[in-house]
Amino acid sequence: MNEMTQLERFRSEIPRPGLDDLRGQQDRLLAAIADPTPKGPARRPRVPGRLRLGLAAGLVAVAASAAAVAVLTPGASAPTVIHTMPASAEEVLTTAARRVEEFPELRPRPGQFLVFESRTMDPAEVNDAAGHHRYLSRSERKVWLPVEGDSTGGFIESQALDPRPYPGWPIPSHAVASPGRSGPEKLADFDQRAEHLRTDYAYLSRLPTQPERMYRHLYTGLGSGPEADAEAWNRVGGMLAEAYLPRAQRAALFRAAAAIRGVTTVDSAVDAAGRTGVAAARANPGRGIQEEYIFDPSTYRYLGRRSVVSDAAAAQAPLGTVLTSSALLKVTVADQPPEVAGQ
Amino acid sequence: MSETSGPEGDDASVIARSLHEPEAFAEVFRRHAPDITRYVTRRLGEDAADDVAAETFLAAFRQRNSYDLARPNARPWLYGIATNLMSRHVRAEVRQLRVVERTGADPVTASFAERSDERVSAEAARRSLAGALAALPEGQRDTLLLVAWAGLSYPETAEALGVRLGTVRSRVNRARLRLRKALGAYDPMATVSEEPVYE
Repeated sequence: MNEMTQLERFRSEIPRPGLDDLRGQQDRLLAAIADPTPKGPARRPRVPGRLRLGLAAGLVAVAASAAAVAVLTPGASAPTVIHTMPASAEEVLTTAARRVEEFPELRPRPGQFLVFESRTMDPAEVNDAAGHHRYLSRSERKVWLPVEGDSTGGFIESQALDPRPYPGWPIPSHAVASPGRSGPEKLADFDQRAEHLRTDYAYLSRLPTQPERMYRHLYTGLGSGPEADAEAWNRVGGMLAEAYLPRAQRAALFRAAAAIRGVTTVDSAVDAAGRTGVAAARANPGRGIQEEYIFDPSTYRYLGRRSVVSDAAAAQAPLGTVLTSSALLKVTVADQPPEVAGQ
Repeated sequence: MSETSGPEGDDASVIARSLHEPEAFAEVFRRHAPDITRYVTRRLGEDAADDVAAETFLAAFRQRNSYDLARPNARPWLYGIATNLMSRHVRAEVRQLRVVERTGADPVTASFAERSDERVSAEAARRSLAGALAALPEGQRDTLLLVAWAGLSYPETAEALGVRLGTVRSRVNRARLRLRKALGAYDPMATVSEEPVYE
């Protein structure tokens, strides 16, 4: 018996735990996922040197273009960041905000469901015995979400669509043959989003209708800088994709989103259903992609979103590749959830 | 072995999705937490392991932006994070190995059912082995145990530790030589194999 065999036997009686044994660990992770705000002194937002000096000298710091002002409270080690909405605003979102009145308003009541029908495309990567494959998987999905409460009360039905090739990769044969229809079934087994990330109708309809306060809501728990701006922009998407806001909140959201730093206009963007629109976009330099929210060019109704490669090296895909996209096709109200097989 | 590919794709796909859908990261935990926890437990014992393993996934979640999406399997990345976190416990790890060396009783496995048949027969060897592991430089111990206990390949170990492949080879060779010496089977004429040998 050589030393490697001896070593392999040493403490080999320690069992591989089951996931049930790891509940404590899993709960800690889920709590962090629900509230990704970095904690602890190592990750507190940096206060720009100039601002810190100004405050130290007892001056009132007014940052004309800065969206975030760090306030040092005596005795507190981490500065509180107050997010003040900048005056500049992106055009597509501002127009969309102005025109929310033109659409019929849904008025779902407690106990009812909002039903979202959409089409999605996401990159899929499979590395198995059959080889290493990359493709863009597509599906059509119908999601029922309760008017009040988290996504564990929701249901989903989906239909796989023909995959699309990922640039430079052939579509694997099993992707084409993958199962067609699934559900209706339960949407989620857990949903531990923090309160401020809730997107159910009851919660969204209680959000502020003033753009400045909606802007602050988008930055809840965030510091300042490009990462915070990217996360705020991402939260806008979460409130648009499979969520429905009352008109007043929707207008406030569009105006607040238009003010997030780094948001630009894209003249032509195609959603997952092939509809061409105009978009508001924000590049995420860390990931090398640009996240776009697409609107109908004549009515300014929200159509969908997509992410496009803006930096080939960072994203490891050719410039201009559309990696994910979605299209919101229909939103309706239902009295009942769908019949779930086996229940 | 843990699954690294499933209906949701490989680890890189799951991590990529978790960038805009943070909940997706729970899948990384489901795939890898059992193996990571066992590995850390084997080195540090149950109490410290629970914390280190939990911290590993918290750190991984916070660093997911920097994950290299060209790497389909997240195992080396996760073991690398766990190894970093374990380095804070190096003194406790060595102390426990020394207890095994001195007394034959292992604080790390005390709470698990014993396989007494093997224990009795291999008592002396276990004590020498523990002593040799305790005496290894930290880098050699990390490298050797990633290969022998975590089952990582040499390239995966290099990736986990952020060192070159050649460094992994030489560390494993040196560590094995020391273990072999300690186990009393040292033959100065024997050549040290470059490949890990599993019997």
